[in-house]
Amino acid sequence: MAILEFAGVTMSYGNRGGRVTALDEVSFAVAEGAFALLTGPSGAGKSTLLKLVLASERPDRGTIRVAGRDIHRLRKSSIPYLRRNVGAVFQDFKLLPDASPRENVALALQVLGIGPAEVEQRARKSLLEVELDPDTRRPARCLSGGEQQRVAIARALAGDPAILLADEPTGNLDPRLSREILELLQRVCARGTTVMIATHDPLVIDHVAASHRLELARGRLVADSDAVAVVAEPETSEPLLPLQPIAVGAVA
Amino acid sequence: MRQLYAMRYVTARGLRGMAQAPLVQLLAIATFAVCMLLLGTIMLVWSNARSIADHWGVDVPVTAYLAEGTSEAATADLAARLSELPQVEQVEIVTPAQAQARLVDGLGGDERLLEGIEAELLPTSLEIHVRGGDVALADTLASELRAEPDVEDVVAAGQWAARAQSLLETLRRIAIGAAALVGFACLTIVWSTIRLAVYARRAEIQILRLVGGTASFVHGPFVVEGLVQGTLGAAAAVTMLYFGFDAVRPLLTDAFALAFAAGGLRFLSPIECAALVGFGAALGVLGSRAAVARYVEG
Ligand SMILES: Nc1ncnc2c1ncn2[C@@H]1O[C@H](COP(=O)(O)OP(=O)(O)OP(=O)(O)O)[C@@H](O)[C@H]1O
Ligand SMILES: [Mg+2]
Repeated sequence: MAILEFAGVTMSYGNRGGRVTALDEVSFAVAEGAFALLTGPSGAGKSTLLKLVLASERPDRGTIRVAGRDIHRLRKSSIPYLRRNVGAVFQDFKLLPDASPRENVALALQVLGIGPAEVEQRARKSLLEVELDPDTRRPARCLSGGEQQRVAIARALAGDPAILLADEPTGNLDPRLSREILELLQRVCARGTTVMIATHDPLVIDHVAASHRLELARGRLVADSDAVAVVAEPETSEPLLPLQPIAVGAVA
Repeated sequence: MRQLYAMRYVTARGLRGMAQAPLVQLLAIATFAVCMLLLGTIMLVWSNARSIADHWGVDVPVTAYLAEGTSEAATADLAARLSELPQVEQVEIVTPAQAQARLVDGLGGDERLLEGIEAELLPTSLEIHVRGGDVALADTLASELRAEPDVEDVVAAGQWAARAQSLLETLRRIAIGAAALVGFACLTIVWSTIRLAVYARRAEIQILRLVGGTASFVHGPFVVEGLVQGTLGAAAAVTMLYFGFDAVRPLLTDAFALAFAAGGLRFLSPIECAALVGFGAALGVLGSRAAVARYVEG
């Protein structure tokens, strides 16, 4: 069963210099529990693809289904619930520079409406998983690139998402740490989380036992190790993920 | 429970945000308070004007002063005849002694103001209350009364009351107009401070959205900030108004003894004060919501 499907997805960025087509008729399906690698040279459209899964960009054409749901037909108020099910490690980390690692991780838990004690406990656990000291008070801007990357990974994992997207998760790490992070991501996958890594790091591409490999080049999907016919079939009525709003919204 | 926790984080974040820029907050609250003070002053003037007008015979539309030497029997007879009339609700005979007592009472019990006025100088009068306080009915009745032989003079307070009423109406419109203007100014104050806070925390807003914060979770802290600004601003205004009023009251009471003696100057009722604070809080919420509205999409 596919947890993530792209069907004829085209996406372009518009600016004064004209339009840049970042993704061109991309279709694929990633099975639930897969460990997928999304590769391709710089500018191929990897980050764009991940942004589309988070619904922070909209496609020009095509449908994107997460757990059977066309996410660009979701109501605006449902998008937060989609994002809680899709943990993401961003290429530029997107950390609060003045907050400590624990505060950064806690943010992703607080939005869930969890009590402070549980937030604290889960944030610690998440940081320990990426081998960071949960008690450090150093603000994120004072951490090394690799440490910031691990905070970002810890934050993405903290909410226990069904899908984990990681954009260049080893981009700033030395080989030893890279391997450890990859092992961690594989452990996460073994727990049942679908993992998708976007990377052009040869170490990852050559040494990771991925169950599914996708390759992009200039916005087109040029290789798919697990190609199946993906058509724009109607969305299934039974979503796998609990995408229905959990009542946390009605504040203020 | 989830909602409660979310509310807690939102409130804590809002207050922490305020504490990060205390000077900005202080300025915003002070400016807000000045605006609300203006509104409170207008409300205070209006509420006092209304109570004075109420006190000064708005419900005594027609007074007929009887000629000197009119017998008690003739007076009673006239009163009886008048109360038979369909447009008359009630007739009251006011003897010279009662008139004197009322005058003293009306002047705040200060008999010195009446030194030299003797009871006998005040004529007996009839106070005729027209049905529904109708000004036109009172005027017709007044001209009919003037034809009565025992009646020396007729004062149709209705005319005066009508004028007072229209003055009050004008005052009310000014108050509403001023309230709208002040409301707009308050909104602008909150809007611009929250706008700055939103700009300063735009990275955080983006992150909260990306990790699945709902719109209210992301906006909440700013709305809390607006609410606090509005409530504190309005509360400060009411406090300033109270002490200002306390300081000015003796001066006004001396200067306009006659006009104010009737009811005395009153401060706003607790309900009016609460309404003013509530209005400030509502403006704070509205202003902050408007300021974050554009950030619905992250
Ligand atoms: N916000 C944007 N506005 C305009 N063009 C953009 C924007 N983001 C990306 N692009 C363009 O879209 C194309 C795909 O970019 P994307 O970031 O998805 O590539 P990538 O595969 O992640 O590259 P990298 O490996 O360097 O991170 C590039 O040509 C890029 O210039
Ligand atoms: Mg990228």
